[in-house]
Amino acid sequence: MIEYNKRNIRTWSLLGPSGAHGTAVMELAETNPDVLILTADLCFFSGLERFKTAYPDKLYNVGIAEQNMIGVAAGLAKEGFIPFANTYASFCASRCADQVRVNMAYMGLPIKLIGLTAGYGAGVLGATHVSIEDISLMRALPNITVISPADCTEIIKAILAAAETSDPTYIRLTGPMNMPIVYKEDYNFAIGKAVTIQKGYDVAIIATGSMVAQAQKAAKLLEADGVKCSVINMHTIKPIDSDAILEANENHKLLVTAEEHNVIGGLYGAVAEVLCKEGVHKPVLSIGINDFFAHAGSYSYQLDISELTAESMKKKILSAIN
Amino acid sequence: MTNLEKYNNAFIETFEITEDQLVGLKYQDIEAWDSVGHMGLVAALEDTFDIMMDTDDIIDFSSYEKGKEILSKEDYGVKF
Amino acid sequence: MTEIELITKYEDAAKRIRRHIIDMTYNTGKTGAHLGGSLSIVELLAGLYAGEIRYHADDPNWEGRDRVILSKGHAAMALYPAMVEAGIINEAELSTFKQDGSKLGGHPSLNGLPGIEFASGSLGQGLSLGVGVCLAMKRKGNQDSRAFVFLGDGECDEGSVWEAAASASHYGLSNLVVVVDMNGIQYDGYTTEVMDMAPFEKKWQDFGWNTISIDGHNIEQILEAFSQRGEKPIAILAHTVKGKGVSFMENNWRFHNAALSKEQYEQAVGELEADK
Repeated sequence: MIEYNKRNIRTWSLLGPSGAHGTAVMELAETNPDVLILTADLCFFSGLERFKTAYPDKLYNVGIAEQNMIGVAAGLAKEGFIPFANTYASFCASRCADQVRVNMAYMGLPIKLIGLTAGYGAGVLGATHVSIEDISLMRALPNITVISPADCTEIIKAILAAAETSDPTYIRLTGPMNMPIVYKEDYNFAIGKAVTIQKGYDVAIIATGSMVAQAQKAAKLLEADGVKCSVINMHTIKPIDSDAILEANENHKLLVTAEEHNVIGGLYGAVAEVLCKEGVHKPVLSIGINDFFAHAGSYSYQLDISELTAESMKKKILSAIN
Repeated sequence: MTNLEKYNNAFIETFEITEDQLVGLKYQDIEAWDSVGHMGLVAALEDTFDIMMDTDDIIDFSSYEKGKEILSKEDYGVKF
Repeated sequence: MTEIELITKYEDAAKRIRRHIIDMTYNTGKTGAHLGGSLSIVELLAGLYAGEIRYHADDPNWEGRDRVILSKGHAAMALYPAMVEAGIINEAELSTFKQDGSKLGGHPSLNGLPGIEFASGSLGQGLSLGVGVCLAMKRKGNQDSRAFVFLGDGECDEGSVWEAAASASHYGLSNLVVVVDMNGIQYDGYTTEVMDMAPFEKKWQDFGWNTISIDGHNIEQILEAFSQRGEKPIAILAHTVKGKGVSFMENNWRFHNAALSKEQYEQAVGELEADK
């Protein structure tokens, strides 16, 4: 039984997204006999070291063969198992995209796909291992639930929640080891229901993944400038919580979307789609990666040059509101 | 409880070991002190001493003795 | 049934399947259908569906069934009449082939037709599905069922086929059978000219598979091949003729996907009738 106490929450944040993934699937191994894990030679990288020792018969390593991994997962899913497969987020959406499309989107098989190091998580490895487009690509496929957890605690909750559904699901993991903690204590997580982290009626920052913590920091900086912000954690990009977006539109002067993802087709696109149906809506400022591949570098370097830091957010919001 | 007792307890609780195993214990000496266990230990120590450890210190924390050395630093000011 | 009677039974089934394929194609009018690669696997499917396959027609999800995965999904037109032989679907359904809203699409899909394990059509994916299914069956303690994955020879250009082949051997999938329809022709021409994968049989062996090379139109050899079981996964390399059974279609790449005129239809039917 997972305990959401202070020490555990801190441990998971220290472990980072992969470690949180490892923690969650250990729990599933104990509670859900149909869950099986697949990896494409990323057992250690994806936090499965303990899982491998404890449950070697529930782990399939297909080697560096992502397309085969998804196909094998599909075969297992069709036969009644719940497979969780993982690889770099960039490969989830590109390398094995056809298998994702046919097996998850078209056939609706209950495959749970974990996208490691989404955004700039593997930034030191350069653009081939970075993923700035996965939300956009996954969103455009029917039937796939797309989740982008805000911190390591939420990663665990998202994985556990995904195991309970029969929906094909993609969970993108953003953030570094020692990932900022958004949720200091237990809370209610439900797929498709955005969480309002704080309320303030000038600006609504609708953020996802790693940008939720940045949004919290930015909100604090903005308060010093007399600007009050709501921070809304849109952890589920699809199906998106339209009600939360429309409510934010009602109650604030400016909407902001924030994502460690391309400004094209990700959270911004999803939010804009909801708002445009309304005809009239508040101005929307999009904060994300401006459609370019950054040079390889540390996570913080890449956030910096992509203007995804709290400081940068603050500047942009002040500019937009004035 | 003294700081030393608190420090020892963090190890004992996190790794489910006994006091006599502490001296000379190093990272990866026992199964429990793997990369996951390491973070659990850090979280326990942070909680116990109400501190936040620096990433570099977390990485350098390679043994029971080294840990004491690190926590004694001015940044954390734990007196053993 | 004696062996002769069994072989006759399956050969008769093959004739019926072949005739259905021609009728189904003609019914699509100008749309046309994948004739070549459907006609080449008729005997192979007859051998399975007219009696060899483990299946309960009244319980399509019976755990003890054999799983058939038509990775070369464009040959669905051969699969459907073969399924009629096994009593899985009704003969009447065949007339809906490729009609708007029909359950019998140009490629198999999961839209309500019993007996279809997976939607297919994007080539190179079916063997991975077979690997997953075989792993699952072993997990469930199912020692009897097998998965039969039908691949095209052109399809084996796809790297994903070889990822799956390597893993099948690695996992020791003794319950996995691949049938490669080696009709020697892909969309753009002879496989040897488009992308030569020789030595083909050796590749499967080098990937750890047992191989059985047969005449894909000889029922006796087909049945013999299907009866083989061993420790390793088995690749049945069936040497076939694309468009088999109709003279102007045999080995003719133009009939990979084609419509039939009234004259062509009548000529084809005439040839099949004469062969009865």
